[in-house]
Amino acid sequence: MTQRSRNLLLLAPAGAWFLVMLVIPLTVVLIFSFGERGAAGGYVPAFTLDQYANLPARWAAFKNTLILAPAGTLASLLIAYPLAYYLAVRADPRWKTVLLVLVIVPFWTSILIRSYAWIFLLGGRGIPALLAAIGIEDVRLINTPFAVLIGIVYGYLPLMVFPIFVNLDRLDKRLLEASSDLGASPWRTFLQVTLPMSLPGIATGCLLVFILLMGEFLIPAILGGGKVFFVGNALVDLFLQSRNWAFGSAVAATLVILMLVTVTAYMRLIRRLGAQREDVALM
Amino acid sequence: MTKDNDHISKRKFMEELYRYKRGSVTRRHFLGVTGLGTASAVLAAAVPALRPRRAWAQGDIGDRVVLATWPNYHDPANFEAFTEATGAAVDVNVFGSNEEMLAKLQAGGSGWDVFVPTNYTITTYVGEGLIDPLDAARMANYDASAFDPRFAGPGIVDNTLYAVSKNWGTTGYAINISKNDNVTPTSWKEFWDMTMDSFSGRTMVHDYQLTTIGNALKYFGYSFNSVDPAELADAEKLLLDAKPHLFAINSDYQPSMRSGDAWMTMCWTGDGKQMNRDMPEIVYVLGKEGGELWSDFYAIPKGAPHLDAAYALIDFLLTPEVNAKEALFHGYPVADSRVNALLPAEVLNDPILYPAAELLDALEFGAAATLTDPNRAELLARFKSA
Amino acid sequence: MRIYAAFVYIFLYLPIGVIALFSFNAGRHASQLQGFSTQWYGKALNNPFVMDALQTSLIVALVSATCASVFGTMAAVALQGIRGPLRTTFDLLIYVAVMIPGIVIGIATLIGLVTLFDQLNPVLAAIWPSGTPPQFSMGYGSLIAAHTLFTMALVIIIIRARLAGMDRALAEASSDLYATPMGTFRQVTLPLIFPAILAGFLLSFTFSFDDFIIAFFVAGSETTLPIYVFSSIRRGVTPEINAIGTLVLAASLILLVTAQVLLRSGRRRG
Repeated sequence: MTQRSRNLLLLAPAGAWFLVMLVIPLTVVLIFSFGERGAAGGYVPAFTLDQYANLPARWAAFKNTLILAPAGTLASLLIAYPLAYYLAVRADPRWKTVLLVLVIVPFWTSILIRSYAWIFLLGGRGIPALLAAIGIEDVRLINTPFAVLIGIVYGYLPLMVFPIFVNLDRLDKRLLEASSDLGASPWRTFLQVTLPMSLPGIATGCLLVFILLMGEFLIPAILGGGKVFFVGNALVDLFLQSRNWAFGSAVAATLVILMLVTVTAYMRLIRRLGAQREDVALM
Repeated sequence: MTKDNDHISKRKFMEELYRYKRGSVTRRHFLGVTGLGTASAVLAAAVPALRPRRAWAQGDIGDRVVLATWPNYHDPANFEAFTEATGAAVDVNVFGSNEEMLAKLQAGGSGWDVFVPTNYTITTYVGEGLIDPLDAARMANYDASAFDPRFAGPGIVDNTLYAVSKNWGTTGYAINISKNDNVTPTSWKEFWDMTMDSFSGRTMVHDYQLTTIGNALKYFGYSFNSVDPAELADAEKLLLDAKPHLFAINSDYQPSMRSGDAWMTMCWTGDGKQMNRDMPEIVYVLGKEGGELWSDFYAIPKGAPHLDAAYALIDFLLTPEVNAKEALFHGYPVADSRVNALLPAEVLNDPILYPAAELLDALEFGAAATLTDPNRAELLARFKSA
Repeated sequence: MRIYAAFVYIFLYLPIGVIALFSFNAGRHASQLQGFSTQWYGKALNNPFVMDALQTSLIVALVSATCASVFGTMAAVALQGIRGPLRTTFDLLIYVAVMIPGIVIGIATLIGLVTLFDQLNPVLAAIWPSGTPPQFSMGYGSLIAAHTLFTMALVIIIIRARLAGMDRALAEASSDLYATPMGTFRQVTLPLIFPAILAGFLLSFTFSFDDFIIAFFVAGSETTLPIYVFSSIRRGVTPEINAIGTLVLAASLILLVTAQVLLRSGRRRG
């Protein structure tokens, strides 16, 4: 057996998988997106651009996603970075591993159950009741975009902490000492040494969280009370409520194209920023 | 009820029922004290099929049956009894709307054996070839003459039996009147006006088109089932105006109402009854302009994987004394006169379950056209994404 | 800094505390504490549907993580030695598979497979010799296949990162010493990439075990644990759900600690 045919054989299962589970389904979605809705729902073959022309009807969902996904990514980053920094640079080395593991442990209960716990915490008997006790009356948290943002940060925090931690942990601490020996203020050291060194971790974490947020459905559904609507929620409704497979396919295809464009552009940008570095992102 | 259990007063019956529900007495004690047990025993002797027959069960109908139904709609004890009698475990899938059920069946491979469609959807299921006709001979406890034709009628399409009546009820709204100076409103107009005023941020509406759009149409006095574009445009404007004032768009309203986060919600009969039973300040209101009257059914989807078990389960749940226990548990009225004969007068005289004639007359059955109308579907989507 | 970290940990553990607290609630509502009881643990463990759902989730997660690790490793190793259009195609496919949102994978798999099955089933019925022909339908198969798509791409990426950092000279030296390709793989490559395979397997397992949205569309009549939980939340949560959550958490913790202890003792001996 030649090396080439052996390689082809090794690739065969993965190739078949990609074909049946990725290429065919995406092709069907693309074909359906040019079709029409059946009288009772579903799909009727046709060739029309009507579904794409109707996309502005979901503009609000795209807009919410395009606002809350970057906002959620940024919020996760702002909260995760100091923690990752603390764990990598400041924490007692003996406790480092334990503290790190403690960041993932909450991940082992279903995201559904954890989000459900937030319904209680953000509901009238949770945090608002505590606030009322100290005199801040009538705070409404649950079923607002803010509640969704909390759920997002909560759900994706570990995905942001880890890549940044790994980066900062590898950072040579002597660099920091050198910088301060040379008379740089701590803030200046951070801006000129630490932050640039941790950019790859930031880039990876942001990419992971952003990708997941673009397709988010559960957190807005549970903590947004049906009022905060992402593209993911629009898709679920289109397939499971109005049963408009043709339009749903057009929305799905648009989401995929939108993601390919934004993520590719993002990765180009990151590559250019860190041209000399090899380990920029996960991919 | 039979003569044997006349020794227990109605009041005592309800007390025992509540004790049973709270779990302080066992089912056996409850059935024994109230005479329901005697009644079942007598019925069981009369109808041989009622007696649990082990042989009929194991191996015969398989070890499971998959049921797709609505939230808070069955007494789990009945499923346990079914499993004990037949060896088939009941796998319950809970759904939020008829649209969702239809979507699952249209997509194929649902794996359901029995599902619970609402009256206005059945012609669509038949038209789409998604359900099979029912063989009455395989349901010993099905007695067509016992059902009120007003509620059981939609199960028969083109003279063929496709679905048998489960329960019927109304869609009104539940309101926590302690938040409204103990004043009980009476109309859909008040529902929407209060939502945008004193109840801002405290109202919930359903997450499906029929009732949310229908009850908005009622604000203007239009038909609940309207598909007229001008009337729908009015309803859309109202919904969009109300949206910033809503607590949530969610058909699962009991937890929020019970916790006090929500004060008012669109609501089905049984949920209204269940909440009112535990929290008397939550009352159930039927808008005087009208609203929905509905009737739910048991049906078998085409290609049900456990057909024998499906028939066995429907037959079991139609057994009058099983059905009576279901009704006592979930609080929805039954169209089967044999079941009503077993229910205590308190239940039959309950104004939530059996509204006054003038309120009932204003209600409309949902129309099949609303289920498949693309404009209503899109309207709801615009409302939700706004 | 330390205070900040403490706040983040409180943020992370507040919901966990709420879940655990209410799992011991005596009352049946998940929002009102009514005394202490462990009854919900008994209820959850004796609930055949919880156990069924748990079993389904475990089987799906194990099988899909195994498929993803085996086929993903095979593909990653093969891709090392391939250049040209085939390599480019695979790179693109891997990139797309990782990037597409779960919800789109779920929907695309659903309509793609339903369309495919509609074509295949009549053919199968026509050529089936006798009796009722088997039918393709959504279920374990589609669920495992859909999870494996995403996790396999993930495994390939992880292993390639490891292979890229590996010294190619090692493999070349091995083949110069007349080792068979299989021998080179077993004795040189595999030990080097094994940690990556293990990490990939664990990630795949975790992803599959916790996935709701893909399963929501492609599970057919099967119920995984997340689907069960979602449907129970709709019904109005009883503390039984909290008990399930707490149990899963405790089980994972015990596994982690056991693994740590085993690894440590293994290391000491080695």
